Amino acid sequence: MEKHIGCLVMPGDVLDCIKPVEENKKVILGPGLIEDGNFIKISKPGILKFRQPGVYWIDCHQKRYVPAKNDSVIGIITQKPGDIFRVDIGGSELASLSYLSFEGATKRNRPDVKIGDIVYAKLLVANKDMEPELVCIDSHGRSSGMGVIRKGGFLFHCHINLARKLLNPECVVLKQLGRRFKFEIAVGINGRVWVKANNEIQTIAMANAVMASELMNNVQIETMCKKLSKVSSGIDED
Amino acid sequence: MASFIVVKKEDLEKKQNVEPCHTLRCLTSELGCLTRQDGSVSLSQGDTTSLAVVYGPAEVRISRELIDRATVELVYKPKVGLPRPADRKREQIMKSIFEATIITNLHPRSSITIILQETEDLGSNLACCINAACLALLDAAVNMSFMVAAVAVSVADEGQIKLDPSKNDEEKGRASITFVFDSVDLNVVSIVTSGKFSQIEYKAGLELAREASQKVFQFFKDSMSRKLIR
Amino acid sequence: MRETPLSNCEKEFILKNISEQRRLDGRNSYDYRDLRIAFGVSLGCCHVELGKTRVLAQVSCEVGQPKQTRPHDGVLYVNVELSPMACPSFEAGRQTEEGVELSRLMERCLKESRCMDLESLCIVAGEKAWHIRIDIHVLNHEGNILDCSSIAAIAALAHFRRPDVTVQGQEITIHSMEDRNPVPLSIHHIPLLVSFAFFIQGKYMIVDPSEKEEKVMEGKMVIGMNKHREICTLQVTGEMLLLKEQVLRCSNIAVMKVTKITELIHTALANDKQARLRGEKHGFAELISGEKLSSNQQPPIEVKPAFNIYEEDDDSMSSMESDESSLGHKVQEVDIKRYL
Repeated sequence: MEKHIGCLVMPGDVLDCIKPVEENKKVILGPGLIEDGNFIKISKPGILKFRQPGVYWIDCHQKRYVPAKNDSVIGIITQKPGDIFRVDIGGSELASLSYLSFEGATKRNRPDVKIGDIVYAKLLVANKDMEPELVCIDSHGRSSGMGVIRKGGFLFHCHINLARKLLNPECVVLKQLGRRFKFEIAVGINGRVWVKANNEIQTIAMANAVMASELMNNVQIETMCKKLSKVSSGIDED
Repeated sequence: MASFIVVKKEDLEKKQNVEPCHTLRCLTSELGCLTRQDGSVSLSQGDTTSLAVVYGPAEVRISRELIDRATVELVYKPKVGLPRPADRKREQIMKSIFEATIITNLHPRSSITIILQETEDLGSNLACCINAACLALLDAAVNMSFMVAAVAVSVADEGQIKLDPSKNDEEKGRASITFVFDSVDLNVVSIVTSGKFSQIEYKAGLELAREASQKVFQFFKDSMSRKLIR
Repeated sequence: MRETPLSNCEKEFILKNISEQRRLDGRNSYDYRDLRIAFGVSLGCCHVELGKTRVLAQVSCEVGQPKQTRPHDGVLYVNVELSPMACPSFEAGRQTEEGVELSRLMERCLKESRCMDLESLCIVAGEKAWHIRIDIHVLNHEGNILDCSSIAAIAALAHFRRPDVTVQGQEITIHSMEDRNPVPLSIHHIPLLVSFAFFIQGKYMIVDPSEKEEKVMEGKMVIGMNKHREICTLQVTGEMLLLKEQVLRCSNIAVMKVTKITELIHTALANDKQARLRGEKHGFAELISGEKLSSNQQPPIEVKPAFNIYEEDDDSMSSMESDESSLGHKVQEVDIKRYL
């Protein structure tokens, strides 16, 4: 098995080393892996990844978001028919968001949400056969950071794997930027990123830095951040 | 209406005299060359170039919605004029190929749309389109059960078989055959033929194309590894 | 297909920046994006990149009847293809308002400016004339497809050559390309469209709007002009009031832009001609492999030039045959040797 991990696999490849049931050990198959009789087949091009005890998945580059349960996403409100909001999260269908699933919302006290607003929300239902459903509260009824984002800033779109990279707590670019600049960021795993810095120039700079970091290695990222802080301090002096 | 190609003609002839008949022309691809789509690729085989883009799994029109699987749509756009019946036929052939390769039941009630634009047809255009579409599906990371590669051969009057024919070979030849293979067992997925050829010629062409298809699959893999491995 | 909607947050941010004379991609208000013009192997095939916006134009011709009203003129068709290829919101086979506006403006720019000598396309008055057709395919919509299309169309026309024709009495001979050198179309001048986007009641104006800026703008002005400062088309759309000064300023900017782009088109045409004469590689395949990697800012990781030349000699033949036997295909050795 080891020989495949970290390697590029293509659709149609068969992983005969993973058996669907391995002596009472559970094997979890992530995206891009399909059980086909006695074999595991690859359905997406990408790098095969493995994590103990038995999680396998394919790390692939994708632009299109496919909703998955418990994902935190950034959506754009597109319609307000009746008691729900219809939210674009980049999937094949619009997701629904009940107006009651905001913190402190009651039938009388509706949340103030307009068409075109962006919301940071969690997927409660995500199933290939069902319409995705979002909530802006956790199981205790608290917002825990979710809800409508309405304080300026800028929203941009990126590849899904960049969003995943940014959500990694070890993400180099955010650490490096965070050391030098003051900014707020919200990353939806659906490839949407909201940023806000002190002023518009810095916001644009942050957005560009984050987008550029997609194809950089750690050393390059560090160099870029250094350069950026130098340039921006130069602007401040002027 | 016709568009004209003149200047490279001598060039092509010169090449033909030098090159053996079993050459798969130079393959060049650019993944993600466009920005608005989920997957896009510009592929050239020699001077034949086509552009393929993929959307999906995306929203589907209600009239085409399928309850249990994704709808595969394929549009082929010729460079000159409106699509003719021959182009529609081509669309149908390619659509049936990709319906077989894409695992559609993973994304019910959605659509996977492939759009192909002919940018330069200098022989083996159908093969180039199929290969481009397959690469675009890989670029968009659509779930597929296998990859496909298409290789064209032409049969000259004397029965000589030319792999990956240029426009000139296709016009001069007695027949042209496009084979489509799957990546798992290199079995034939689809065959598109025109003209007259014998059984022996067919078999020889098939084996030659099968061999060449491996090179195409290797090229697909190389292209993806360039994109994915850093 | 549904397009990702523009959020209020993006809208406000873009407007705020424009009101401070700043654009998201770092351009100044009057800057065009990088323009790249390339020609295909076939004549009259032009590929234009304006930033990330991409347009492909192909010119073709056939002999047909001239129009009854103009028996001495050839015919010029302009066809603009807006398909879902460029942007998910475009639908195949259905004319949208945007599509109609685009093709109408292109017709005004190319036909009504009389940039092409249609009389020279006549073969026999009232009976036979050349029909020239331009197909404009929008490949990627990242804003300002109009300017990009007009550049592609006129460059393709300038690049195109039609077959030569001789008339002897009743007999019309269309010479093949090998027979006689094909003739270029006679083009009098190069009209180009320049778009201006207006924001906040026409107070702020930018050139070459990007896709997001187009979604936010209040109105648009399109000026069709050639390098001799002759205005061929002028169109204003949207709900806004424009001052006379604003219009004059736009036309002055258009002069500069048109001069620069015309020069670029001429250089591109000359380069292509040179490459063809010298027998160097040209066409789109070259566009991807060589030039683009170095001169374009596209990260080379995503671009993949690969040379997979597969040659088969006798050795690989025998290996191929062993493959066959393993695959269980029975082909006699003699037969293969004869036909390969």
